[in-house]
Amino acid sequence: MSPNDRLGPRAEILRGTLEMLALKLLSEAPAHGWGLSLKLREISHDVFDVNQGSLYPALQAMLRRGWIRAEWRASENNRRARYYTITAAGQTQLDAEVADWNRASAAVNRVLRHAYLGA
Amino acid sequence: MAWYHEIGASLTSVFRRRSQDRDLRDEVQFHIEMEAQRRVEAGMSRDEAQAAARRDFGGVERHKDDTRDERGASDFFDLWNDLRFAARSLAHRPGLTLAATLTLALGIGATSAVFGVVKRVLLTPLPYGHPESVVAVWSAWKGFDRTWLSYDEWEGWKARVPAFADIALYTDGALTIDGDSPERVQAANVQATVFSVLGVHAERGRGFTAEEDVPGGPSVAMLSHELWERRFGADPAIVGKKIQISGNAVQVVGVLPAGFELPLDYSTGNRTDLYLPMQTDAARNGAVPGPAFPKGGASHGFYAVARLAPRASAATANAELRTLVAELEKFGYMANVNFHAFVVPMEEQITGPVRPVLLIVFGAVVLVLLIACANVAGLLLVRGEGRRRELAVRVALGAGSRRLARLLITESGVLAALGATAGVILATVTVRFLRSNAPRGLPRVAETSIDWSVLAFALVTAVITALLTGILPLAHAKHLPLSSELREGGRGATSGRARLRWRQALVAVEIALAVVLVAGAGLMIRTVRNLLSIDPGFSADGVLTMRISTPSDWYQDSIRVTAFWDDVERRVAAIPGVKKTAAVRLLPLATEMGDWGLVVDGYTPPPNQGTPADWQIVTPGYFETMGVHVRQGRTFNAGDDMKGPLSLIVNRAFTRQYLSGREPLGVRVRIGARDTTKWYTIVGVADDVHHNTLTGTVKPMFYATLAQFAVAPGNTRRSMSLIVKTDGDPSALIPAVRSAARAVDPRLAVSEVETMRDIVDGAIGGQRFAMQTLTVFGLVALLLSAIGIFGIVSQVVASRFHEFGIRAALGATPRDLLSIGLRSGLRQAAMGLAAGILVALALTRALHSLLHGVSTTDPLTFIVVSVVTGAVAVLASVLPAARAARIDPNTALRID
Repeated sequence: MSPNDRLGPRAEILRGTLEMLALKLLSEAPAHGWGLSLKLREISHDVFDVNQGSLYPALQAMLRRGWIRAEWRASENNRRARYYTITAAGQTQLDAEVADWNRASAAVNRVLRHAYLGA
Repeated sequence: MAWYHEIGASLTSVFRRRSQDRDLRDEVQFHIEMEAQRRVEAGMSRDEAQAAARRDFGGVERHKDDTRDERGASDFFDLWNDLRFAARSLAHRPGLTLAATLTLALGIGATSAVFGVVKRVLLTPLPYGHPESVVAVWSAWKGFDRTWLSYDEWEGWKARVPAFADIALYTDGALTIDGDSPERVQAANVQATVFSVLGVHAERGRGFTAEEDVPGGPSVAMLSHELWERRFGADPAIVGKKIQISGNAVQVVGVLPAGFELPLDYSTGNRTDLYLPMQTDAARNGAVPGPAFPKGGASHGFYAVARLAPRASAATANAELRTLVAELEKFGYMANVNFHAFVVPMEEQITGPVRPVLLIVFGAVVLVLLIACANVAGLLLVRGEGRRRELAVRVALGAGSRRLARLLITESGVLAALGATAGVILATVTVRFLRSNAPRGLPRVAETSIDWSVLAFALVTAVITALLTGILPLAHAKHLPLSSELREGGRGATSGRARLRWRQALVAVEIALAVVLVAGAGLMIRTVRNLLSIDPGFSADGVLTMRISTPSDWYQDSIRVTAFWDDVERRVAAIPGVKKTAAVRLLPLATEMGDWGLVVDGYTPPPNQGTPADWQIVTPGYFETMGVHVRQGRTFNAGDDMKGPLSLIVNRAFTRQYLSGREPLGVRVRIGARDTTKWYTIVGVADDVHHNTLTGTVKPMFYATLAQFAVAPGNTRRSMSLIVKTDGDPSALIPAVRSAARAVDPRLAVSEVETMRDIVDGAIGGQRFAMQTLTVFGLVALLLSAIGIFGIVSQVVASRFHEFGIRAALGATPRDLLSIGLRSGLRQAAMGLAAGILVALALTRALHSLLHGVSTTDPLTFIVVSVVTGAVAVLASVLPAARAARIDPNTALRID
């Protein structure tokens, strides 16, 4: 299997974006890694296929920066799972990133609209 | 960002690594199980689901690595993982790993071995106290650029040269330590002050006292540490014991420290093992007592060392000597012979002649190391080619560039470490070889050893090597165009272009460096050939030599000495294979010879100049045995004995200088200026023999027989070299000749057993050493470059396989394809060759002082170098290029 197959029709998520999405999901409810990857795929209607090789390093990075906390708890089906919870610092970071994203995407949309109009 | 979280997490990482690893493992395990569960619920079988989940997750181990990477503080721990990874990936390509390791081992090993020699010879201080203020003192006059001092000069310089804190004399010789197995050892007669001038104290016992160093003083001796260990089993009670030396009982008063050698020993290559006090004075040397000088001059026969006074330098000493000699000349001492006296700093005297040789060899070996690095960098680049996608995947999976860099550097580091390990082994073997085959005339090389500093040097070399070989693949990995690399899907017709350019540049550099080495080797080969083609005046082939002395205790007079040599020669001549045998006072090219003042009948020397000639004492068979041609008159025969008329043979330089225009045969010559000595008659003229050096001019020389020299001037030669001529291998005769000598007198020690060929080779030892090492390095460089060219052409052919296939399908002939392949290698070769020749033309100037009869830009050498390098390049290109010619369009186009 070549990496192409997996990347094919789905979109690559940039590292920063992945962190923002994960923080967003965690701000709604604590979750474990698998849950996060599942939710991302479901909510994005399968557009975002989260690469596990990116997710866990990203979580680890956020742990290190103090944006999230981790603890072992029982999962829905009563198994031991590592749950991540957003911290106050993480919430601040999320707010800042969402603001950034909105500003950037609004700008991108304006350009795109302008381009269509111009065509 | 909360900085304390960073630090806190890093610290917890360090201390809680194990538990974090467990966390990660459990977490991954959980993920995979849940994913599998999901798939089972979607209708997959359990096994399939498990496998799919696992596959989807990717290499579990790798994610762990990447995740750890993000935890920080992993640098400490991931080194181990990197090492394991590097070892694994190197083990996957054993061919490449072996080639790279051997190449680096060669580079690092050779460099370390040469460094060991350089360090020992040039960087290790001489075994004297404050060696920087020890100087050798020499006299010189017409025909003698550097010769011994007279007793008067010693007294004069001691009293009247303020730059000398002290100056001391010594002479060299050989003595026999008697016993069941008598041993001939190098000995020196030294003034008691020699050791304080050299700044050395006895390791056991004491040095000589002033009271011992007077005529008729006690029989005392000092031993070298090495003799004490070898001959006396390091006897702790040696001091005070009496030992038998050449028939006399001598009391040992001290043992010198290990490694101590007299300055002279460095040029002879033999350690002085036995020291006796000189016990002489002005009267015994025909000298004027005290700091006064006679008119004329006297016997010059002493080596001298001096210690400079505080704040004095060699230059001030030389200036003071110049002033003093000018005064003496006005007064009439050694007038009209351009007499002068000078000092040479001891370091310069001992290591001066080898310094250029060693620096050139060191420079050459560094070039070899660079070529080795270039080659390995090239290999790693090719390997990088095959790994582009692997690396791209790693980056896609989240490995940072720092991580990649570490991985690649670790790999080249592991290679360098392997190379250094093998290299140190190689260096050890090389040094061991050098120790036992140290070239004659290269002082201290035999003392070379692999010590911590050489190991440190190898380590530093390895680190530099790792960086040099790792940096290029790394620079490439950093610029991986990620997504394009993944999408390119391996159809790499153009993807490796930049990489190929780098490899081509590397190979061009390798060839350029190789050209420099080969050119240097070529010039040295021509030099050695020129030196060997100098006719030394004798034939060294098939001649065995050994030195035997006949001490006066056992051989009281010349009659007995002559009888001894007659007996030895008769027995040796009876050995099967021996063609001719004789004895001679000093072997040519093995020792320096001084001269003797003559009176030549009918020749009046210019005012204040004598009629000096080198004196050679032989037994009658000498000319035939040594292959010295006698051009006029006759050679010596059995009639030239004590009873026969005194006959002399002179060399051609003698006739040119003292008998120009005269018939030499029949001219009468007196040895020594005294009127009472008897006249000799010249009976023959022999070819000039190069005695002191191979390249210097030959001075007048006379030959007298051992027997007649005892008649006039009446001296008995105590020490002679036996020479034996054979058609076969002279060393094969050693046991037989030794036992023949023992049969005559078992008490006598035989020493300096050598072939004449070795002695001649030793006379050009520096040049030979440079030639041999440069030739070996040049060949290695050519080989490595050939491998480089081979690799490039292979890569070009492989990467353009499709293109070649298409060309072949469109009608290109195999010859066309071959030439395309060839061109790809030869272009680099041509560039490297051109650059190399330019660099070589500039660098060979460094060889200038070593060359003989060939200029540093010798056109013939450079043409041959170009042809050889070009031929190697063609050979290395042809094999892989031939693959291009054989391409079958069908398979080439089908391959994906």
